Amino acid sequence: MSESQGSEGTTQPLPVLEKDAGPEPLDQSASAADYEPPSVLEGDGGRERRFWSARRIPAAITALVLLFLAGVFLYDIASVRAERPPMAWRRELAHQLAERPLDDIWVLVGAGVAAALGLWLLLLATTPGLRRVLPMRRTHTDVRAGLHRDLAALVLRDRAMEISGVQSVRVRMRRAKASVRAVSHFRDLDDVRADLDATLAEAIRGLGLSRPPSLSVHVRRLGRKG
Amino acid sequence: MRAVLKIVNRVLIGFVGLVLLVLGGSVLAVGLGAPAPSWWIHDDRHDVLLSDAERTRWRDDTWWWPTVIAVLVVLVVLALWWLTANLRRRRLAEVLVDTGDGEGALLRGRALESVLASEAAGLEGVQRAQVNLTGRRSTPKTRVRLLLAPHVNPGTALNDLTDRAVAHARTSAGLASLPAEVRLKGAKHGAERVS
Repeated sequence: MSESQGSEGTTQPLPVLEKDAGPEPLDQSASAADYEPPSVLEGDGGRERRFWSARRIPAAITALVLLFLAGVFLYDIASVRAERPPMAWRRELAHQLAERPLDDIWVLVGAGVAAALGLWLLLLATTPGLRRVLPMRRTHTDVRAGLHRDLAALVLRDRAMEISGVQSVRVRMRRAKASVRAVSHFRDLDDVRADLDATLAEAIRGLGLSRPPSLSVHVRRLGRKG
Repeated sequence: MRAVLKIVNRVLIGFVGLVLLVLGGSVLAVGLGAPAPSWWIHDDRHDVLLSDAERTRWRDDTWWWPTVIAVLVVLVVLALWWLTANLRRRRLAEVLVDTGDGEGALLRGRALESVLASEAAGLEGVQRAQVNLTGRRSTPKTRVRLLLAPHVNPGTALNDLTDRAVAHARTSAGLASLPAEVRLKGAKHGAERVS
């Protein structure tokens, strides 16, 4: 990786380099590296859109609550129409609604809860959800695939553990960034990091994601032993 | 899951949310002392939520109770439909196979599902596979859930699935296309040391 960037730096004229090479053309093997996402074969068409949740469970719960409220009112109103006495709760409800002023503490609490619930439902309705599912690159027009974030993290961890000198690895996978923290118990730290960078870049390519996450690698030495 | 239901879910949830937000927010604002416009349902912080006069304003009109009951009936029916549509698992019972001689054959959906699932489970690194058929019987779709072992590349596993299991199912059922939605999950396991 650093070689290719180095050659880019030497062969291209300066203004073009500034335009093309983006924010960090310098070598980075010496520091905890923030890599550009590995350039996956572009030209497979545009990037995949995210998966949108069907929101079945919130919808089912909302429907259930609506059904219950409308059903209870319908039952009671119909039974009053049929000359039966109204249920006690309806009188009590009407009484309370007509008694309590708006600055009553319970009215305010209820209004706050309703507003918060409404805001949450609006958020549910407008956001895609399924944050843990990363869309994969399309290899066939008919097949749309998503990779669960935990699996991506697991794959990266397993690849990192195969490198000699790596004692333990923690991978934190987010939607746009994979941060890898490794603890090394022998070999030179820079060598370990270089190996990690190369292996993990390859592994990220192997994930086949539509938007490969950027990679940040931190390696540290195990605390000194005697 | 039909695409329509996804949209209906979001529109209805958003509508309910908007109503709750506006009502709750306005009561909260007026109750905390914000000035209310003259046309709004509440005047000031000493107003009540729903006074007896407001509640019984139209009670003696002949149209009032029939209207209330009709609205409630519509609400109940709508909520019931919405609930059942969300709870029902849609599965395709059978797939129409074009035999090429002007007649058709019916393939049981379960059969196609289990063939696809077992072929997918036999792929390298796939620990478990679950397949559901959806869509219409002439244009079926499939949803595949794979449990992957982390030693395979997910990209490779997806290619295998597409090129073998899904492709075989498509050709064997004589379908022009078999759109698939695939989700890959991982089987948890401890870190393995290389000694």
